[in-house]
Amino acid sequence: MPGYKLYYFNVRGRGELSRLILHCAGVPFEDFRFEGKDWPAIKPNMPFGQVPVLEIDGNKMLAQSHTVARYLARQHGLAGQNDWEQSQADMYVDCIYDMHGTMRTPTWETDPVKQKELFDKVNEETIQPHLEKVEQHIIKNGSGHLVGQGLTWADIAYYAFFTTPIMTRLGGEVFTKAPHLKKLIELVGSNPNIKKALSSCPAPNTKLINGHCSTE
Amino acid sequence: MPVYKLHYFNLRGRAELARLIMSQAGVEFEDVRFERTEWPALKATMPFGQVPVLEVDGQMLAQSNTISRYLARKHDLAGKDEWEQALADMYADNINDLMTGMRPAFLEKDADKQKELYEKFMTETVGTHVAFIEKQLEKNGTGHLVGKELTWADLAYYGFFSFLVEKFGEEFLKDASHLKSLIALVEDLPNIKKWVESRPKTEI
Repeated sequence: MPGYKLYYFNVRGRGELSRLILHCAGVPFEDFRFEGKDWPAIKPNMPFGQVPVLEIDGNKMLAQSHTVARYLARQHGLAGQNDWEQSQADMYVDCIYDMHGTMRTPTWETDPVKQKELFDKVNEETIQPHLEKVEQHIIKNGSGHLVGQGLTWADIAYYAFFTTPIMTRLGGEVFTKAPHLKKLIELVGSNPNIKKALSSCPAPNTKLINGHCSTE
Repeated sequence: MPVYKLHYFNLRGRAELARLIMSQAGVEFEDVRFERTEWPALKATMPFGQVPVLEVDGQMLAQSNTISRYLARKHDLAGKDEWEQALADMYADNINDLMTGMRPAFLEKDADKQKELYEKFMTETVGTHVAFIEKQLEKNGTGHLVGKELTWADLAYYGFFSFLVEKFGEEFLKDASHLKSLIALVEDLPNIKKWVESRPKTEI
């Protein structure tokens, strides 16, 4: 087993998918989390001055959140059974990447009224039309999963996106027209390894607050 | 050989990388391009209401980087092992971020504000990234981004940076000799030359 060290801020954000993949696959890793104030010292050592970064065996570094997640999914049996399934999974995760981008503005808005307004706009313009298509695809696929017959990192990516604090707080109506996706997300959430990961904090000096690790 | 049909607007945009990959690989494909006026009727037929979409023997694959990665892997342009494939993915993701980063400037209607936004994008976003890429190219030492041979990562950088040079001139690459060499290397590949000469001429 290679030695994995995942560098990211002490938030879920764009690091969480890789963490969940590793937890789901039962693979140990160093979940290296840091605060904003520590970032300037770490930044120059990152390949493109950004995180998340996966360091392997202390000497190889891989950047870009979805590249890291895809690499881990492929190494640990969560990528899909053949080239076509792997591409289907890539496709779904790319959709999540795009939606992450649109959610940035609402997520960082501090005024709660404005935040709800921005969230509702993203939901109406981007998320709902997307979910309408995804529902059709899940029904057509027939297994309850996004791709093929079993769990892939695509399912985990949708789980991660739809269980963020802002989504949990403001997204109560998000699955009104997407019962199959709702069921899939609940299924991922009930995975014993994911349940175990979310019930404890592996990182030092952190504790569980509202379901995620923090240094508070 | 599967039948490839690539659906996109009549632009380079987010479909050009797939076209470059298929051209370099010497693979035939139907380059379906439509005008903006035709899009509303076609939108509903696409898996997520977006393009580009690659149709492979009747099955549809969406998302530009997914399409490019699929084609690169099928036609030996992805990297020689899983680690190289991951590195190539990483570089393609960088280009994706740069393209997305350019959008606010591209969409700005006020000419003065647009100029300001483009300048900021080129100096801050692109400039910073180019410095990192130079280091990586130097470190890799082969002239390519990944390993010893051409991968879709090289094509991705060529696609986007040749567009930036077209739009803004070469000045921003004055301290980036390795990246400049890479762009020239790809430009000179016979299949790429042939494609660039024959493709429809579009602004973006």
